[in-house]
Amino acid sequence: MEYSNPKIPEGINTSIEHPVREFLQLTSGVVGVVVIAVFILGVLADRLAHHIPFSAEQNINIPLDKHEVKGQAINRYLESLTHKIAQAADLPPDMKLKIHYVNSKTVNAFATLGGNLIMYRGLMEKMPSENALVMVLAHEIAHIKHRHPIRSVGRGMVIGLTLGLVSSSLGDSLTGNFVNKTGQVTALKFSRDHENEADATALQVLQKLYGHVQGAEAVFKALEAERKRHGKNEPGFEFLSTHPFTGKRLQRLEQAAQNTQNDAQPLTPLPKQYKYWLKAK
Amino acid sequence: MEDLVLVITLLLLGYIFGRYAEKRHYKSIIQREAELSNIPVVATKLIPPQDKFISIGLVAGNVVISVDYFKRFLAGLRNLVGGRVTAYESLLDRARREAILRMKEEAKAQGANLVFNIKLETSSISKGSQNSIGSVEVLAYGTALKQER
Repeated sequence: MEYSNPKIPEGINTSIEHPVREFLQLTSGVVGVVVIAVFILGVLADRLAHHIPFSAEQNINIPLDKHEVKGQAINRYLESLTHKIAQAADLPPDMKLKIHYVNSKTVNAFATLGGNLIMYRGLMEKMPSENALVMVLAHEIAHIKHRHPIRSVGRGMVIGLTLGLVSSSLGDSLTGNFVNKTGQVTALKFSRDHENEADATALQVLQKLYGHVQGAEAVFKALEAERKRHGKNEPGFEFLSTHPFTGKRLQRLEQAAQNTQNDAQPLTPLPKQYKYWLKAK
Repeated sequence: MEDLVLVITLLLLGYIFGRYAEKRHYKSIIQREAELSNIPVVATKLIPPQDKFISIGLVAGNVVISVDYFKRFLAGLRNLVGGRVTAYESLLDRARREAILRMKEEAKAQGANLVFNIKLETSSISKGSQNSIGSVEVLAYGTALKQER
């Protein structure tokens, strides 16, 4: 008997499809599904968060910073500004604000659950005018007014839990990570929307209180300078960032300024003892 | 951002090197298959009684090929939606043909001119362990025979 192995043509046991084509189809498909799913979840969770009463938030204990200063002139000054802003922003009467002053060099300010506002000396000493300081306060108060803290927490929990469950049940860490990261990046869109909404409300407050929105740009410039001082860059693409890019925020500010007043308006100075008050312990 | 850069770099590296290695490997496989075509391999279990052969004995060839990051990423996404895992098809095809070639080389070195009763076994190295780029092993073995003159 004669034995032979004839030459078999190539491509019978393999596919001819180009791997890059397959890669593009698969990634765009999976990314598309994750983005849509996160959006739907985010919107639904947001709807639910509105049903949590503000009083429930007030019952949550916020851990205090050990450098917090109480009962000093700076507290009284911040409280009087807060009061003015709350009125200008039409804050509902049941939304009681609690403003905290922390004597530390952190260049930041934030609003959190239960109407708590935390202001750090680091950011406050960089404010050149009362207008800039009011911009910061009004921005944080706007977060409370629009209930951003509880909405973020609620949404973060729903999206985080779902992504965690789905990605860990895929059985493959590489794919799981990919799905998880895609979902997390998608969810940042909600965070940027909140920032933009807070900026817009803050500008309305400035307009109401001072008749113009000038002086607000100093806030973003101070934050930008601080970022540069630390040698940190904004991520290459805005979709990877929790906050809108500073350039864009400044642009919107300029637009708002042009819509109201073109000529330079006098800025309201900070109280003379402001720098001294900040040093309170 | 760093994560994104890292993943894209790994994907690119995996694609470029994986693709290059695969092209080169196929070229070598096709060339050596032609060279060794004078030693046929047959899957039949029993030698027909009228054929006169001297049995040389067991010959085996095995190979381990690693999956690259790009292929693994592709296969992982494929697992979500189903369908043919084309990324691994060429990998297994290469491994199977390479294992047979190595077995044939061993048979040739022993003066055989036919390999009977060939069998193939495939196993995955690093099976089940997370975070590892897996490898595939293919073992080909059979009985080398020499025709009686």
